[in-house]
Amino acid sequence: MKKSTMVAAALCTLWLGLTAVAWLSPSKTHSDTERRELQQFPELSGESVLSGEFMEGFESFTLDQFPLRDNFRTLKALFHYNLLGQRDNNGIYLSQGHAAQLDYPLNGASLDHALQVIGRIYERYLQDSRVFLSIVPDKGYYLAEPEGYPAMDYGALFEKMQKGMPYASYVNLTDCLTASDYYKTDTHWRQEKLIPAAQRLCDAMGAPGPMQQELRPVAAQRPFYGVYYGQAALPLEPDTLYTMESNLLSQCRVYNYETGSYGSVYDLSKLEGKDMYEVFLSGSVSLLTIENPQATTERELIIFRDSFGSSLAPLLVQGYKSVTLVDVRYISSQMLDRFLDFHGQDVLFLYSTLVLNNAFMLK
Amino acid sequence: MLFSGIPFLFYFLPVVAVVYFCLPWRLKNGWLLLASLFFYAWGEPRYVLLMVAAIALFYGYGIATEKCSQKAGKRAWLTLAILTGVAMLGVFKYGDFALENWNLLTGMGVPLLKLALPIGISFYTFQCMSYVADVYWGKVPAQRNIISFGTYVALFPQLIAGPIVRYVDVDRALESRKTTWEDLSEGIFLFLTGLGKKVLLANPLGELTVIFRDADEKSLLFYWLYAIAFALHIYFDFSGYSDMAVGLGRIFGFRFPRNFDYPYISRSVTEFWRRWHMTLGGWFRDYVYIPLGGNRVSRGRWVLNILTVWMLTGLWHGAAWNFVLWGLLFAALLLLEKWLPLLNRLPNLLRHGYVLLIIVVSFVIFNAETLGQAGEDLMGMFGLLPVPLITVESVYYLKSFALLLIAGFVGATPLVRNGAVSLQNRWDGTWALRIAAGGALLLLCTGYLVDGSFNPFLYFRF
Repeated sequence: MKKSTMVAAALCTLWLGLTAVAWLSPSKTHSDTERRELQQFPELSGESVLSGEFMEGFESFTLDQFPLRDNFRTLKALFHYNLLGQRDNNGIYLSQGHAAQLDYPLNGASLDHALQVIGRIYERYLQDSRVFLSIVPDKGYYLAEPEGYPAMDYGALFEKMQKGMPYASYVNLTDCLTASDYYKTDTHWRQEKLIPAAQRLCDAMGAPGPMQQELRPVAAQRPFYGVYYGQAALPLEPDTLYTMESNLLSQCRVYNYETGSYGSVYDLSKLEGKDMYEVFLSGSVSLLTIENPQATTERELIIFRDSFGSSLAPLLVQGYKSVTLVDVRYISSQMLDRFLDFHGQDVLFLYSTLVLNNAFMLK
Repeated sequence: MLFSGIPFLFYFLPVVAVVYFCLPWRLKNGWLLLASLFFYAWGEPRYVLLMVAAIALFYGYGIATEKCSQKAGKRAWLTLAILTGVAMLGVFKYGDFALENWNLLTGMGVPLLKLALPIGISFYTFQCMSYVADVYWGKVPAQRNIISFGTYVALFPQLIAGPIVRYVDVDRALESRKTTWEDLSEGIFLFLTGLGKKVLLANPLGELTVIFRDADEKSLLFYWLYAIAFALHIYFDFSGYSDMAVGLGRIFGFRFPRNFDYPYISRSVTEFWRRWHMTLGGWFRDYVYIPLGGNRVSRGRWVLNILTVWMLTGLWHGAAWNFVLWGLLFAALLLLEKWLPLLNRLPNLLRHGYVLLIIVVSFVIFNAETLGQAGEDLMGMFGLLPVPLITVESVYYLKSFALLLIAGFVGATPLVRNGAVSLQNRWDGTWALRIAAGGALLLLCTGYLVDGSFNPFLYFRF
């Protein structure tokens, strides 16, 4: 056989083989690694063709449904990092064994929006309350600059938020945390590492801190692949997710205002789901209250928070009769008084730098 | 539909190729025409009618031009063909540019047409006009088979971003052609090489230019990083596309002309334009410059000819003043090089440096949205803006893209090709290497395409 025949035959075989697999592979509905629904075959109609919608949908469909999609993405990521020497892949970089997201520069308009929403909440509901502000640094705070990655100006962010909220006492958490207090493959912090941060907050609010001797970490059975695992598309080692269990936390009840039902602090069914971090207070819920049956005080706490608050809030329960968590990404702050009675409770605004720098979803 | 897209690579092309090779000869052109119209309609469902109309009109003009026995009649048909082509471009590409400037000059408020630019219109109208001109000059007989003529105009490998194939290049192949195993092997490998240039080099470099544009904090380093990245991006984007087009043509039995010959190794701007977008340069030379009299005219007229050709070359790239400026810059440099032979006496290193500097600066003008932005970018590059020398961000991107830039510098020279040829001369087993390299390119590019979304073709807008 001639050499050109062999070259053509080999390349045609590979190409047509991939084509055949692409055509014959059954469609999937969901990508676990990317945590999103996959595009299905688009509706074919005269209108959709003329408008170009069908073509766009088909292109997305072929990308999403390509066979061995995750393996191809990993191949690309490895080539991108290791051979081309690129320092991030899809905005995710690796540093000290962690996957982290490039998030810069500081978005002043976003901070203004956050301050506007928070200011409205304060004016309307919190005149009689003691108000605290604490900002959760994302792990880029510890990883980016020392490794030469561009980072937002964290100092300016902290300063702007403090100045914009003169009615709030600021609680600094940056020195209570290190990079190792975050999951390696996820954006969030690890609950089992949050005792110092929780203690700092409780001290500032004048409430008893978490009972360390009673808390015990319990590991989830399944490995935890965080949100950056899918985005980085690199063969990273998974994390182990721990929940801090105690007699108190097992007795606490959590009222979910969306479903109108009670549950527990840890929703263990979520450990079998796509995002194991949702085990903490059932994940993205607009409004819920943790009730402490062992409370020896009438003090109540309201936390305006993002997902970082889900894993921290259980550690603050000790000193309060109830802890209410409000996520104004999912509920308008204008309608909170339909569900909550504001009467001088302690109030903590607990937001991560990631949300503050992309705060337009706060309502 | 993009060549560097999953729908083309794993749906359209395999089906078209497999059916093509199964069909008897008499149906092959018809199939290619049908496939090409589908390919075009995928991106431009409405404008496919415009292209079909162009095929019908210029098919008719060709026959009418040939049939006319009188010179004046032939000339009239040629004029009509040119007017048709210019009118198509005028309405769809330059209409709003002309109206905007008219409104600006007169203070009137003539409403803009706001028509979307039909993809590839600059390429296929030029092919149509040059076909009628070639018939007029008697270089080729008019094509009597409208399927064959339609295949020439609409042939998907070169339809939307060139190279500009002249009828004379493919007239024989339209009547009879054969794909040998060697054609298939060379065609596939060339296509994959072009795909690699586009996906592995041009797209990431293009991302860097977008990052620069979006960045709040610029620096001197960042301006230069942007300018160099864009110069490499546009080269690999366009030459990658051309390689894919030529490779596809070869798969289907056509021999399209080369469009690039390592332009960045040039030692003068004149040489650069002999190596860059060669089919466009050749088209303007043969169908505009020489008919205007070329250099066999008075010095003043010759200068005017040069300025006309280069202003048109600039305008061909886009309906905006920065493209006109870009074209005129090259006109001025070409005239200077002809009048001042000083350049020829300089050491090679300086000559290369001069050309690279001109290229980088010219593409900064080329890529600017407005003349103001072009001015700002150039001021930034030459230290005339109050920006720092470096920022954390620019140093990060320099480090992150360093290897890619080096790969770009090497890939823009004949080093790799020469190495491959040298290896081929000394070792019998390079065919295995070709299989490995081709397979790796296909898999890697697929990985990039499946993962990424940044995949525009710059030359689609022309």
